[in-house]
Amino acid sequence: MKRKTVSLATALLLCLTSAVSFAAETIKIGALYPMSGRGGLYGQDSEAAIKIALAEVNAKGLPGGRKLEAIVTDDQSKPALAVTLAKRYITEDKVKFLYGVVSSGAALAVTEVSKEYKTIFVGSDHAATDLTANAFQKYYFRVSNNTYQSMAAGAMYMQETKMGGKIAYIGPDYAYGRDQIAELKYSLGKLGVKYEMVGEFWPKLYEPDYTSYITAIIKAKPDVLVSGFWGGDTVAFIKQAKAYGLFDKMKYFHPDGGGNYEVFSTLGAECPEGLIMSARHHNNWPDTKENKDFVQKFHKATGRYPSYAAEGAYAGILVIAEAIRKVGNADDTEALIKAMEGMKIKLPEDPAGFTSYIDPKTHQMAQAQAIGVTVKNDKFPPAKYALGNMKVYAADKIMPTQEYIDILTKSKKK
Amino acid sequence: MSFEIFISQFFGGLSVAMLLFLVASGLTLIFGVAKVFNFAHGSFYMIGAYFSYQAIALFDNFWIGAVAAALGAGLVGMLLEICFIRRIAGREEEGAFQILLTYAFILILDDAVKFIWGPAYKTISKPESLAGSMDFGAVTIPTYNLFIIVLGLVIVVSAWYVLSRTKTGKIILAASTDTQMVGMLGVNVSLVMSLVFGVATAMGGLAGAMAAPLRTIAPGTGVEVIIDSLIVVVIGGLGNFWGALFAALLIGEVNAFGILWMPQWASLLSFAVMIVVLIFKPKGLFSREKGRKKI
Repeated sequence: MKRKTVSLATALLLCLTSAVSFAAETIKIGALYPMSGRGGLYGQDSEAAIKIALAEVNAKGLPGGRKLEAIVTDDQSKPALAVTLAKRYITEDKVKFLYGVVSSGAALAVTEVSKEYKTIFVGSDHAATDLTANAFQKYYFRVSNNTYQSMAAGAMYMQETKMGGKIAYIGPDYAYGRDQIAELKYSLGKLGVKYEMVGEFWPKLYEPDYTSYITAIIKAKPDVLVSGFWGGDTVAFIKQAKAYGLFDKMKYFHPDGGGNYEVFSTLGAECPEGLIMSARHHNNWPDTKENKDFVQKFHKATGRYPSYAAEGAYAGILVIAEAIRKVGNADDTEALIKAMEGMKIKLPEDPAGFTSYIDPKTHQMAQAQAIGVTVKNDKFPPAKYALGNMKVYAADKIMPTQEYIDILTKSKKK
Repeated sequence: MSFEIFISQFFGGLSVAMLLFLVASGLTLIFGVAKVFNFAHGSFYMIGAYFSYQAIALFDNFWIGAVAAALGAGLVGMLLEICFIRRIAGREEEGAFQILLTYAFILILDDAVKFIWGPAYKTISKPESLAGSMDFGAVTIPTYNLFIIVLGLVIVVSAWYVLSRTKTGKIILAASTDTQMVGMLGVNVSLVMSLVFGVATAMGGLAGAMAAPLRTIAPGTGVEVIIDSLIVVVIGGLGNFWGALFAALLIGEVNAFGILWMPQWASLLSFAVMIVVLIFKPKGLFSREKGRKKI
């Protein structure tokens, strides 16, 4: 009798310990996103996309029956806070991967933590070219476009459509806005496109009122207004500029983030027709099964359509799972890096016949970029417009050149 | 510079200035009368915009939205004054508490709007009657921007009338000079404080509703407008209503022409004006005191 009790207790204990060890076997990803303020939308969309991706990869199974798990914390897009949280993820939560980050400033700080602690950092959103160029370190990977790729595609679009002549630029007064125009000028120069800059305007990020900028731009009489705005700032600028008839006086060209879904969903019927824009992900393009599935799954989970940030957050989880499958575990960091270098992975934003791949040298995901013009499209309400007449630029044609990386390295060292 | 460009830039600056004044006037009124530095004033602008968004979604009428914004923000403002701000009045460490308390309001209101309306940007459409633009020769001015300018002037004139021609106005002015004395004369001072708080936050809410057709609203919008309003209030003199008007016009126009002439430096200009004013008139342009006393 006594023996039976003991063995029962042992069995119970065994059950318990196995449950504990099973729980400990989850592979943790420490994600950092802004969950509040202006960037909150991108954080919340990214979290929803991560959940969708985790459900998919865990259902498919990982080596040793282990599960992937993500912890998401609000980094408020502040570099110092992001660093503290990243260190805590590594030392206390024992995460195997750092993940996410919307602000390039925060990402540049987190990549230093990743280097110091030899922990892989998969960037899903931030666009500063630096991270896969002059600030590159081998534990960093980026699964979404950088601004160079958008602007290189933009330059090709300008050449192809003979857009040039007088150009004015308006963009937020920080690295993101400054990099975009520098990269566009570089690519236009490479392609030999002739143009004349007639004005550069630098409102601060989240500037609420662009009225005085708009009248100054109209006065400069450019043929093309290149724009480097982001998110809600794009919406405010378009609404204010439309009343001044700016879009009848010049072409509006916004190749990095103009065509983000949240711009269309906020503007609704007020979106002007014929704006030339792009985004890192489009809900209506490409018309592939992968994209349709992703957009519908997101809509089912949240009741809204995804902003561009969601697809990057989704893609990174697939990349991590694929690397773990290749290596057989999540502990051999060096082997995981090798597995991710050159990895090919089919993503929602890949047009038919193309598969995204990670450039082994810079750890930048090479992706095709599509630029289109705003046309009526009410398939993704509350948006009433979307991009159409897409022109697609091949992934290998728009990757940062070594020459540009050298220029960046030199100029940022000063 | 041609006359057309001057006019176009001037009116652009004027409409920016009027929205700035609508927010800053409430901030300065609260400081002047209640001696409270309401760090959360921009958040009333934000909730005003959200209230108007909600009312328009329900009733499909821009003007109902404007009324809802002013009433809603004013009521929330009065409630916060009665429940919290009043409790710390007169304490020795009041100043520090005010900053902490009103900063907490910012965080709470930001999260409250995120909880109710979600994190996505919101914007509202202009009323149809104001959606077009007017051409004056070669100058195009959107009708809505003209409306903002007129509305700003109407508020300036009404405020002048209330403050200088009515008994209520005189009590408010007196309370801003010597609260204790006004209380001894039999005026219910705490009621005056609550009302001033309500009116000032209602003006902030109205500014939010008026700005929403031009801008985007999101959780955190309040913090974006508070910095510019602070600059205006500091230049005009803390607590000085007319100072806020003058400073808003100054900042609006300096920015408008700065953007035209030196776009690279435009975002520094408001700060430059503030620094110059603070050097020569540390208490603001409209303060009665002169600069630093000579020893």
